[in-house]
Amino acid sequence: MSSQRIISLWKRMDWLFVANVIALIIVGVMFIYSASSRRDDAQLTAMTQRQILWALVGFAAFLSAVTVDYRNVNRGAIVFYLATIAMLVLVLLVGQKISGATRWLSLFGILIQPAEFAKLATILMLAHYLSEPSRDLAHPRTLLIALLLLAVPGVLIMEQPDLGTAMTLVPVTFAMLFVGGVPFRYLAVLCLLGLLAVIPGWFTLDDYQRERLLVFFDPGRDPLGAGWNSIQSSIAVGSGGLFGKGYLMGTQNVLGFLPRTVAPTDFIFSVIAEETGFVGSVALLALFALLLGSGLRASLASRDKLGRLLSVGIVTLLFSHAFVNMAMTVGLMPITGLPLPLVSYGGSFMSCTMAGLGLVQSVYVRRFRR
Amino acid sequence: MARGNPWDDEFLRIRLLLGVMLLMLISLGGWLWHIQVTRGPSFAEDQNKQSMRRVRLPGVRGRIFDREGRMVADNRPSYTISIYLEELRQPGSWDRTIDRVEALLSEIARIIEVPVTLTRQDIRNHIRRRLPLPLVAWRDLSDAAIARFAEQADGIPGVDVQAESTRFYPFHELAGQTIGYVGRADIQQDEEEPFHFYLPEVSGRSGLERSLDDYLRGEAGGRLLRVDVTGYRRYDFKQREPKPGRDVMLTLDMRAQELAEKALGADAGACVVLDPRNGDVLALASNPGFDPNDFIPGISTVRWRELNEDPLMPMLNRAVAGGYAPGSTFKVVTALAGLESGLCKASDVYSCPGYFRLGRATFRCWFHPGHGPLILRRAIEQSCNVYFFHMGLAMGADRIYEMARRMGLGAKSGIELDAEVAGLVPNDAWKRKEQRDGWRDGDTCNISIGQGALVTTPLQMARVASVVANGGRLYRPRLVRGIRDFGDGEFVLQAPEVEREMNWAPANIELVRQGMRDVVSGERGSARRLALPGVAIAGKTGTAEFGRKEDRKRHAWMIAFAPFEEPRYAVALLVDEGISGGETAAPRVRALLQGLLFPTTEAEGRG
Repeated sequence: MSSQRIISLWKRMDWLFVANVIALIIVGVMFIYSASSRRDDAQLTAMTQRQILWALVGFAAFLSAVTVDYRNVNRGAIVFYLATIAMLVLVLLVGQKISGATRWLSLFGILIQPAEFAKLATILMLAHYLSEPSRDLAHPRTLLIALLLLAVPGVLIMEQPDLGTAMTLVPVTFAMLFVGGVPFRYLAVLCLLGLLAVIPGWFTLDDYQRERLLVFFDPGRDPLGAGWNSIQSSIAVGSGGLFGKGYLMGTQNVLGFLPRTVAPTDFIFSVIAEETGFVGSVALLALFALLLGSGLRASLASRDKLGRLLSVGIVTLLFSHAFVNMAMTVGLMPITGLPLPLVSYGGSFMSCTMAGLGLVQSVYVRRFRR
Repeated sequence: MARGNPWDDEFLRIRLLLGVMLLMLISLGGWLWHIQVTRGPSFAEDQNKQSMRRVRLPGVRGRIFDREGRMVADNRPSYTISIYLEELRQPGSWDRTIDRVEALLSEIARIIEVPVTLTRQDIRNHIRRRLPLPLVAWRDLSDAAIARFAEQADGIPGVDVQAESTRFYPFHELAGQTIGYVGRADIQQDEEEPFHFYLPEVSGRSGLERSLDDYLRGEAGGRLLRVDVTGYRRYDFKQREPKPGRDVMLTLDMRAQELAEKALGADAGACVVLDPRNGDVLALASNPGFDPNDFIPGISTVRWRELNEDPLMPMLNRAVAGGYAPGSTFKVVTALAGLESGLCKASDVYSCPGYFRLGRATFRCWFHPGHGPLILRRAIEQSCNVYFFHMGLAMGADRIYEMARRMGLGAKSGIELDAEVAGLVPNDAWKRKEQRDGWRDGDTCNISIGQGALVTTPLQMARVASVVANGGRLYRPRLVRGIRDFGDGEFVLQAPEVEREMNWAPANIELVRQGMRDVVSGERGSARRLALPGVAIAGKTGTAEFGRKEDRKRHAWMIAFAPFEEPRYAVALLVDEGISGGETAAPRVRALLQGLLFPTTEAEGRG
């Protein structure tokens, strides 16, 4: 790639989008510091530094994704998709078991979560499949194959078990089918079937998953066990009030009522809401809203269907994660263990999110090219 | 679906998708408003409930002074070494933290040269029940131990020296039963705001410490601690300072108290000194006694058993809780009852042959040869029983009963001591109820000379002496002279309380007073041993038989007041087992009055 091309891509970048991403990462680093700085365990105090490192790695992934022409991804989509499926199978066979779930693969000493890559791979695969010019979207076979493409990684991820991650693929696929042009009546039937699936689905869940759902409807059911995180998180967010308790002053966080293991990861939003109050949490919502808007701007600007579907899928994935995560910390959804994109602590997730956002920009910077 | 223009349609769908997303985010914002702003205070309260611990801080106890400002009950600092567990916490199992605490304890034990008394179980219990509070490892350490700690252990994290206030009684045994002692307070569960933790706190358990507890006890304050999820103290959140109790000034004069106890010597008995001008109790002694310091901070089992099993009952405050037949000291009451009733006259003459026949019974006078013919004044002087038998029968028992009650017998005086007993003045109604038998003339004879069922306390007899001394004004005997807020301000003195004006005819009271003076200074007075040069003293002896007749056990009594013209001291002294009032009690009262009236000679004698 010539430097001239790089400069022209650079000039066409959506800088508001980039600033937005950077703002969210900075917020994340700040509150990971708040959630981890008072730990007595010295091993964990380095979290902030590591998150900054992850952010840099993420930016590298972001920039490389921008430079890659998304239309070339098209060819690699199938390979990537199959590779991640292989990894998901591998996880189930030889994965690292951490706190009851087998989600990690050890690769040269680094723990990676193949499910994170699987989400991206599925989006790429679906975008590729649905955007084929010859594809008849009104044909039921198209719908069935699309659902199959979702189901294979979905079921494998559920087997880990990681219900939360698997579930995020559902709105993503739905949004891509919707924007792609699958007739409304199919989508309506799909919704209906989805609702009906809840009943048999209940019986395929593991006990702990069922318990989590029950606890969601009644957190007092087991306040010291499964309900603890939900209750303490609600208390943290609620006690933040209008303006919060101040940076590094969140009592729920500092006193450890918000468990130290999850405060910088899944419950980072509780820390932010407790310390910055309603004003701060709504500001964070606004940042996400802006990011979604500028993400879909790429989708609207895209010259081809592949680009549109790709960015719609990634933006919907971002939205699902963000919404489910924040909703669970305020007691609106069951605790599922989904991190908050760009903000929560975590390497694999950060890299994947940044790569995904890079792809969105890759679509945007090529909006004028034929 | 508009098939004619698929591109536009797709854009519309994307915008629709964005709309749905934004709508969901806005609803999330609405929900956040609900729980952060609308329900925020309630969540904040939940948060406080689970992370706040309330500790009750006892107030400093007020001090007790005697009337001259001598400290009778004081607070002295006692030094403790405490361990702050939050600074020693170890990750992982509790045992690791306990190991750390034990290691620290033995290190400090080596430095201060005091062995560790806490067991592993003690530490475990503390962690389980009182984790946010410091663990007290040593209490009441010697100055030397504290000095060693300051020299070598200062700066070791997690350990600190604290001063606790401990009750101290500088006069030790002196007035021990009257002052009383404090003990560990019971936790009051009915308080408005419940506390999670209580610090050691004392409350009065006996004597004035107990009856004046409302004044002495401070007002507890509170400390709010913020604890973390494990229960360790994180920081102090808020503190409301406790209020110290109030200082009390007693009417007691510890010098008079010392004289009174010296007068009793080694014998079991009691001695009360009142000021007849206002009812102030200058001395209230009971022998044997105890040192209230033995009860601080807690009494040993051995000492407790000793005190309780001693047949002489050192815990009993005989002056107010000991019931004794008053014997001949009661003749003062009989004489006043007779004169005031109008049925007897001072000039009435009865002859004493040494005995008195009543039907088939014979009552003996203590002077077996007989006193011969006597008038009242001589009968008081010589304490003739036969004269008072005649007198009692002449007026009837009811007159004696009424006068005795009017002079404060048979009822609690209202002195500030819970242990006080009422005593007993018998009458017909009482006898019918208790002994299912009517009142007989023999009973009248017995009560006339202070025998029979009559029970009085030394304090009550001191009041009799006092009301005769001042010519007929019965004061409530009081131990509290003034109260002030903790510190060194002025005491607010309380006015004396008059319980009753007797309104005796001046001639009658004067005759009894003269008779009592003759007891000491008359030719044939029964308490000539009491005479002191340079001062006129009046008194009345008493020798009351008790127990089985063949044991020949006698209470030796003396009531007295001095100086005769303007009495400043009214005294009652009792020796549980003596020979007679004149022989056993009179010399002791003499020594006491000498010390009270001539303090310089007493001081010289000491020097």
